[in-house]
Amino acid sequence: MSTESLVKHLPNDIGGTGCSDDKIEITERQLYPWEKRCHALLDVLDFHKIVNTEEKRRGTENLGSEMAAKLSYYEKWIVSASNCLLQKGLITPDNIAMKTKEVAARYNITL
Amino acid sequence: MGNGHDHTHGAHAPIEHEETPGYYEILEISIRELLIEKGLIKPDEVRKQIEVLDSRSPALGQKLVVRAWTDPEFRKRLLANGNMAAGEMGITIYDDTAFTVLEDTPEAHHMIVCTLCSCYPRAVLGLPPDWYKSKQYRSRAVKEPRAVLAEFGTIIPDHVKVIINDSTASQRYMVLPLRPEGTANYTEDQLEKLVTRDTMIGVTLPVIE
Repeated sequence: MSTESLVKHLPNDIGGTGCSDDKIEITERQLYPWEKRCHALLDVLDFHKIVNTEEKRRGTENLGSEMAAKLSYYEKWIVSASNCLLQKGLITPDNIAMKTKEVAARYNITL
Repeated sequence: MGNGHDHTHGAHAPIEHEETPGYYEILEISIRELLIEKGLIKPDEVRKQIEVLDSRSPALGQKLVVRAWTDPEFRKRLLANGNMAAGEMGITIYDDTAFTVLEDTPEAHHMIVCTLCSCYPRAVLGLPPDWYKSKQYRSRAVKEPRAVLAEFGTIIPDHVKVIINDSTASQRYMVLPLRPEGTANYTEDQLEKLVTRDTMIGVTLPVIE
């Protein structure tokens, strides 16, 4: 089986690949509060040119096919933003490790 | 629920919800707080941007459609340059994307999609629904649009062309649906009610109830 298609298409490049069994789930929902905060955060980062929209998009495209399939829309955004900030040296892995542990503890969660 | 955790961390407490956050929410909270601690963003910027997001809704696009229906000269300007025409109505296409309005005619019906991600005319429609961002819609809309339309209960007659427009990072679209028959005496309010978000994406047609 040719792997050419993998070379020519990033995991998100799916136009024309579906079939009629892939029924569309036509539902409405409000964004969860964290999702709206996530969207707003990326807007703020773009406004300040800290992580611009193109960088965020590239970050979501670079997650690989497994994460592309398994993470929800805004889960990909926050991971992309985190990766961009790490790559730019604006935050460190230790920053994230310590802060997430601290935040989780507020909710009595151990990460 | 109600495990008595202490919201002693001040200004950001009210915009968090009470249920137990998952990993990604914890990550979101952490990244935001780190950015504030490092002075890269200010504490209130996310909250203010949420208000901006909430201010955008399909009501903006509705106004463009209804004005185009009732003002032929505006319609021409809207079709020629969506960004400028939206500006006339006080709507800023804020991210410098090209905003193009697609005119439905008796011969052609338009539909919009973003096959790569979720490009959508947020400046005039607000945030897109989950289905617009879904793999199913994105993968099938360009391949079998009539089957996709049928899932929304929309049947376009065979003699009418269906045109799918793939949005991009720099080019956004909105559909200008055909004004339904029998609405000649409708007020603007009545006309606006016909123009739902889905008619401006092109997955449904305006219908008189």
